[in-house]
Amino acid sequence: MSRRSYLIQILLALVLLAAALALVRGHGVGGESDAVAGARNALHRIGYEALGGTPQASFETDQEMAWALERARPGPSGVALARGEGGAVRWRVAMPGGGEALVTTGGVVWSARRPVPSAPGRDLFPSQARAEVEAALGVAVGDPQRWTLARVASWREAGHIWQRGWFVGGNGPLPPGWRRELELEMVGSSVVAWRRSVLPLGTDLGVVTGRIAELQLLRRPAMVGLAILVVGVLVAGAEATTYRETIRPARGVAYGLATAGVGVLAGEAALGAATLGVAVAAVIALMPTWTELPPERWRWGAAGGVLLAAVAIGGRLAILGAGGWTPVTPPAAGSLGPGRLLADSWYPALAEEPLLRGALPALAAPVVGWLGAAMLAAPVGALLHPLPAVPLLASLGLEALLQLGLALVAHRAGVGGAVIARGVCESLVRRGAFPLGADWDAAAIAGVVLGSVMLLWPPRSE
Amino acid sequence: MAAAQRVSVLAGGAAIALLGGAALTVPVAPRLPAAPDSPLGAAARGEREVPSLGLTWGRLRGWERTGAGWTLVWQPVHGAWLIRAWVPDGGDDVRWRLEAAPWLPGVRLGREAARAMAPAAPSPPIARDRVGRRDWVVGGERLLGALDGGGPLPRAAPAAAPAAVGLVAIQALLGGLLLAGAAARRLVPGVASRAWRRGVAAASLALTAAVPLLGVLAPHVFEPGVRPWVAELAFGTGIVMILGALAFAAQRFPAMGGAPAAGWLAAAGAGGVLAGRIDPVAALAALAGSPLCLPVCVAAAVLAGWLAGLAGDGLGQLVRAPAVLRFVVLGVIGVGATLAAGPWLGFVVAVVAAAAVGRGGATAMATAVLWGWEVGVTRELCRWERGQLDAAALLLLGCVALGAAFLWRRRTGDPAAQGAA
Repeated sequence: MSRRSYLIQILLALVLLAAALALVRGHGVGGESDAVAGARNALHRIGYEALGGTPQASFETDQEMAWALERARPGPSGVALARGEGGAVRWRVAMPGGGEALVTTGGVVWSARRPVPSAPGRDLFPSQARAEVEAALGVAVGDPQRWTLARVASWREAGHIWQRGWFVGGNGPLPPGWRRELELEMVGSSVVAWRRSVLPLGTDLGVVTGRIAELQLLRRPAMVGLAILVVGVLVAGAEATTYRETIRPARGVAYGLATAGVGVLAGEAALGAATLGVAVAAVIALMPTWTELPPERWRWGAAGGVLLAAVAIGGRLAILGAGGWTPVTPPAAGSLGPGRLLADSWYPALAEEPLLRGALPALAAPVVGWLGAAMLAAPVGALLHPLPAVPLLASLGLEALLQLGLALVAHRAGVGGAVIARGVCESLVRRGAFPLGADWDAAAIAGVVLGSVMLLWPPRSE
Repeated sequence: MAAAQRVSVLAGGAAIALLGGAALTVPVAPRLPAAPDSPLGAAARGEREVPSLGLTWGRLRGWERTGAGWTLVWQPVHGAWLIRAWVPDGGDDVRWRLEAAPWLPGVRLGREAARAMAPAAPSPPIARDRVGRRDWVVGGERLLGALDGGGPLPRAAPAAAPAAVGLVAIQALLGGLLLAGAAARRLVPGVASRAWRRGVAAASLALTAAVPLLGVLAPHVFEPGVRPWVAELAFGTGIVMILGALAFAAQRFPAMGGAPAAGWLAAAGAGGVLAGRIDPVAALAALAGSPLCLPVCVAAAVLAGWLAGLAGDGLGQLVRAPAVLRFVVLGVIGVGATLAAGPWLGFVVAVVAAAAVGRGGATAMATAVLWGWEVGVTRELCRWERGQLDAAALLLLGCVALGAAFLWRRRTGDPAAQGAA
């Protein structure tokens, strides 16, 4: 390799790192420290001082609700609603000595619950309860005048009279047709808990849940495709064994174990992860027998991944800009560390790429050629993971575009390159679903760093 | 043609005609009740007799044969609800069921439907609008807008325990035979037949082209809340993937050149007819209700014939033994299959027939059995006029194909061998 080429590769590595940082920096769910302060404040307002020590904060999303709000109010205002008054994206803050609160990432306190006090004050008899419960609403919401007390229930338990009031708050800042509700609980004359909820307009929630149901249905043929592929691999394995072709069982077993392990870390069912692990183990073991596959050039994988991530993020913005809808709040797992981001991102890469970019093209290449076979893999891959968009075809189209991109990466960099590209792309795209923080950023760009090192590593021939 | 040869051909033809006539007319006790009316006729009756429910029904999306009646599905384009109806063959009442997505306010039942569901209520239904749904208050009862309506529909009775285990075993056995056949064709290669390769590819292509109209055969893919075009897309994509895999496999594991004598093919066809009449399959009756019945049946017979030929090849390799012993083993398997295979009877007979004639004629024999099986099922189950016409047309096409194979063989010796690659 000439010095000039190497310099270009150094430049490319730097560009990759800069692009990856630009895609992840500042992208993530914030508000953790504000949530802790908000939770302390909310508990203080109901007469409970949380003990010292670090509260445990975990992240929660109500996916359908968030997407329904984003659909009802397209653009930044919908995202703000989902993270604020809609209560769909929130932190659960558990105090070390008891007491818990939910605070949205936009800073709205969604619920608070304190331990039952030993001296809760005088009991309220049902005739007095209504006024007292109504007056207590001020500790929960900032606009009590917009809420109406709908019902109060009283009961006696553990030597005290308990009250529970249901408030209705109209739609407030939510879209027309939505409704806010609040439940407040008192023991004696002390408020011990309250919790807000949102009733969505059926149409807004319905479109989102309908799209999710449709995508689940569309996954079935993709699973059929994968099953057919596994049968093909089985027959190819029998053939290779009979003809004593060179296979790499140890490499396959190691890869399969790694895939199954990452799958379990990503929250997959152990049986499903193990099954896919066995299938990809067979594929990797048989790889040397498939001479039609392009040669491995792993170093180009990360570059492809960053490019595909930019296309994925840009594609979603384009759908929104064209008047369509696609979720801005992506699917997120709650209360987990950066390891979960790594597992979530790399599991589909490790499990699907050898099948879609390795086995399928290898088996079908004798009939339709390598590129034709790689194109066949695109619809299968596109049906596996699209997000619910309006129109639905926009989401499927974007996913198909990414699959075609991965086919091109595999053409240039081989199956290993495609695995790296997919992992890098998924890490960068999923980053926004997890909390802000340097450790999360590091997990997101780990693949890019690895790819840059590969890019700068001198080729073996030198 | 010498006189002796003419006599022999005439005698053979008469024997074949007798065999075919016997297969078509011998009394049997079929496992499923025959359908006197087509699914479209049943749909017309359903639309007449089920209350309109105050909802748009949309298009008839699919049907299937369930017991002694047709289960039919209607769904509007938006997919928010669907209506299933079971139309019995006799004069019994039509049963119906409304299934609605639980989220749309638009799924409020019509006033007429609300009244029909609470006929004893003293006062007329009062509409109540609530967030996320619309209800009716009828007397002291409340009908939730998103509540499913109607009653339960009959389902196909599942096989009893020993038969169910037997069916699973048969399916596993057939899967194993297919793998064995694939391995056999790779490890012990023969002369591949170009004609069969092209035939199977053309059959796959024809079935792929017919997929958009075959969604009617899968009524279970339609769900409330899922738009029908998405359900049809999911079904069609799955079928196209399977057809693509079969077409690809037919190129990788092609049928061998060679063909058995026309008499054997005729006997296989007659056996298929009998198998179809004894153990008919409801799915084929549903297919007979579609306008594309004839071309789809022909293409399916060719494709399934290749598949059964592949499994037969596997079975043939596994029971390599002296001729007498081989026929005894295959005979025992055939008898066992007749007793235990249930809806797989036609396919199992095709596999055994393919194994009996050896690799050269396996695909032709299996295709003849499955062709006859389709004739038998259609004739036995589809008792409406169009169904019987389809069965007759399929039989006629089979006879024409048999005659052509006979003449071609007489002219050239072995037609498939001539077309071998």
